[in-house]
Amino acid sequence: MEFAYTPAQRALQKEVQDFIAKEVTPEVEAEQDEIGRGPLVEAVYDKIKANGWRAISWPKQYGGQDGNRLDQYIVEEEFARVGFSVGGGGSGAPTILAGGNQEQKDKYIAKLISGEWSFCQGFTEPQGGADLAGLQCRAVKDGDDYIINGQKMYTTGAHRATHIYLMARTDPDSKRNAGISIFLIPMDTPGITVRPLWSIQNEPRAPRGTTYGENRTNETFFEDVRVPANCLLGEENNGWNLSAMGLNLDRVGASRYLISVRRDEDIVNWVKDPANADLAANIKDNPSARDRIAECWTEAQVCRLMTLRSMSIVEHEGKFTYEGSAEKVWAPEHGVKTTETIAALLGPYAQLLNGAEDAIESGLYAHNVMGAFQSGINHGSTQIMRDQVALRGLGLPRSR
Amino acid sequence: MDILLNEEEQMVRDAARSFLESETSTKLAREMEKDPLGYPPALWKQIADLGWVGMCIPDQYGGQGLGLTYLGLVLEEVGRAIAPLPLHSTTVPAITIAEFGSEEIKQAVLPGVCSGDTLLAFAFQERDPRIIADAIKTTAVLEGDNYVVNGTKMFVDNINTASKVLTVVRKPGTTGRDGLSLLLIDTDAAGLTQTLEVTTAKDKQGRVDLNNVKVPKSALIGEEGKGWPIAEKMLDVATALLVIQMEGTARKDAEITIAYAKERTAFGRPIGAFQSVAHMLADAIMWCDGAQLLGYEALWALENRGNAGLEVSQAKSFANDRLLPACRIGQQIHGGIGFMMEFDIALYYRRVAASTMRLGTSFEHRARIAAALIDQPGTVRLGEPIATL
Repeated sequence: MEFAYTPAQRALQKEVQDFIAKEVTPEVEAEQDEIGRGPLVEAVYDKIKANGWRAISWPKQYGGQDGNRLDQYIVEEEFARVGFSVGGGGSGAPTILAGGNQEQKDKYIAKLISGEWSFCQGFTEPQGGADLAGLQCRAVKDGDDYIINGQKMYTTGAHRATHIYLMARTDPDSKRNAGISIFLIPMDTPGITVRPLWSIQNEPRAPRGTTYGENRTNETFFEDVRVPANCLLGEENNGWNLSAMGLNLDRVGASRYLISVRRDEDIVNWVKDPANADLAANIKDNPSARDRIAECWTEAQVCRLMTLRSMSIVEHEGKFTYEGSAEKVWAPEHGVKTTETIAALLGPYAQLLNGAEDAIESGLYAHNVMGAFQSGINHGSTQIMRDQVALRGLGLPRSR
Repeated sequence: MDILLNEEEQMVRDAARSFLESETSTKLAREMEKDPLGYPPALWKQIADLGWVGMCIPDQYGGQGLGLTYLGLVLEEVGRAIAPLPLHSTTVPAITIAEFGSEEIKQAVLPGVCSGDTLLAFAFQERDPRIIADAIKTTAVLEGDNYVVNGTKMFVDNINTASKVLTVVRKPGTTGRDGLSLLLIDTDAAGLTQTLEVTTAKDKQGRVDLNNVKVPKSALIGEEGKGWPIAEKMLDVATALLVIQMEGTARKDAEITIAYAKERTAFGRPIGAFQSVAHMLADAIMWCDGAQLLGYEALWALENRGNAGLEVSQAKSFANDRLLPACRIGQQIHGGIGFMMEFDIALYYRRVAASTMRLGTSFEHRARIAAALIDQPGTVRLGEPIATL
């Protein structure tokens, strides 16, 4: 066991930190706060790409560096701390690499890891998400095409994404997980309509770094959307197996880890900052408050170590049995605990949202209360994840 | 960075597990709870011959010179097997002596420890059981070539079989961290009396009353009056090793319970098929994992870094708070039978419960964490070392 970075890993971390100190200027941060991804932010992304940091662990033939996952993690963590997402490929790309044909790999992966293209996820429907028995979106073969009809919920980023990674039923007589296929579809295909769903973290806009922090997600409608058959990923009716692979990879990594633990650092640094001496007095010298802060901190370390365990497993090319699912239980529940603990410590100030004159940290902690729990819902709820730990990790019998 | 066990570490763990599976049993553990010694000397001799007792002692004194993580892996297996061995209570003072003792004392004591002939104990806690310097009231006054020691030490593990006890004492008139020293005291010294307690673990923790005990000057470990950093390191080593030992016990408890939940049926199906049961077991394993990860990191930090107090206190507070509930899940799922003396699951529960009460409460450890985080300048970041105060 080795819990420290190697000198080379330290140097990489330092290089990224130096880059951020130079390039992520107050002007860039102001743009992030006001509009999200504007020209200044895009210029920084271009430089990140030019440095090869978007896709360290991806194959060279698709624009990566054939590097290791831990180096990628180190880079991702530093950028995630300043609100930049550099997880090369995002969702979709790992599954295409694992399950796509050569033509699809050539077509998508390089563009996904460069950030030129991006996917939103089309899994959940109005009738449900985790339980695929209710999946109703239909794809019907028509000559060399498929015709798609249905509605997808919580298609976060659909208004920005170039493509959707869509789960649809290709066998109408199938039940549950069978008979489902994955399609890779350009968002500008006729018949696709995106409507916004505004989250409770919006109005006023959640400040940068808020846990979850999505002001907006979407519902996406498919009305007689005609796509060529080469949009099908892998085999017809094998979509569930493909997506399970992708979800596993989606549940671990720097951004998942950080959204659950950032507040643990923030509250300590806020309390000890002399500029906050008046507001923090009742926390800093209060033994009960200190006890709670230390408890949250310790649990955050468990989040960190579970993430590093996953990275170490990837490095060894080992198989996950339950570790990723356990992380997806522990980290979100921890994030909620810390969020609610801080709310209890800050008292009336924890109500003040972004824009309030007396808000602490632009209302970060108040917005956090309205979104931290969301991490325990999306990409597999904590209940589903506990099922996975029990079934796959502990070998317990199925309940149904 | 690679936090999984490497090949050598896996070999040490596997060897320890297979040895203990063949040489010990819960039956033996129960017998030793009623035995006046509390351990089987023949088994102790065997593990000394295997090099476990001297694992972290330099080879010139008969040890193996390995890092603390290796001893941690062995103690995790000792916990898993509930092997009745005074390994923790002997190795902690031995490691302290090896690091801070004079050459003379190391040569006099350590070879006997490594060979299994000499058992040790360590004594820090007193009637005020806090693991802070202020709680040390036992005094040592130099008179000629001897210290004269007076006071009471509490919760001294395996004092009944130790021939020497490494004892933290204070120079009269000093307070706080000043004036502390460590003395290696013969347990048969005149004026030393021991009284065994009756404990949850049914182990051999005792009170040690020191009444004008004469201790030769040569028994001093480190410098007189400058013993706090030595005592603190000794406590940190003891605590990290205890965490990983108790985690081994708790994990085995969870594994027994998982197996039981697959076999035991109710309402026509194995009880493990009920989500209310399955989710409890998922939590138990996650809590064991958390304690293990924090415990391994604490051992690693003690071995590789100067100040590992934060990692140690994180590990113990978490282990205290989560491993007893993990084992209580074992009791809940076993139902009535888990409450019965003859059934093993209660043995694991008792042992883990007792360990959560030793070497610092969660409140004490978190007070130490909070001080490290809040009471010194600079910002904190997870994953970066933070010194304790």
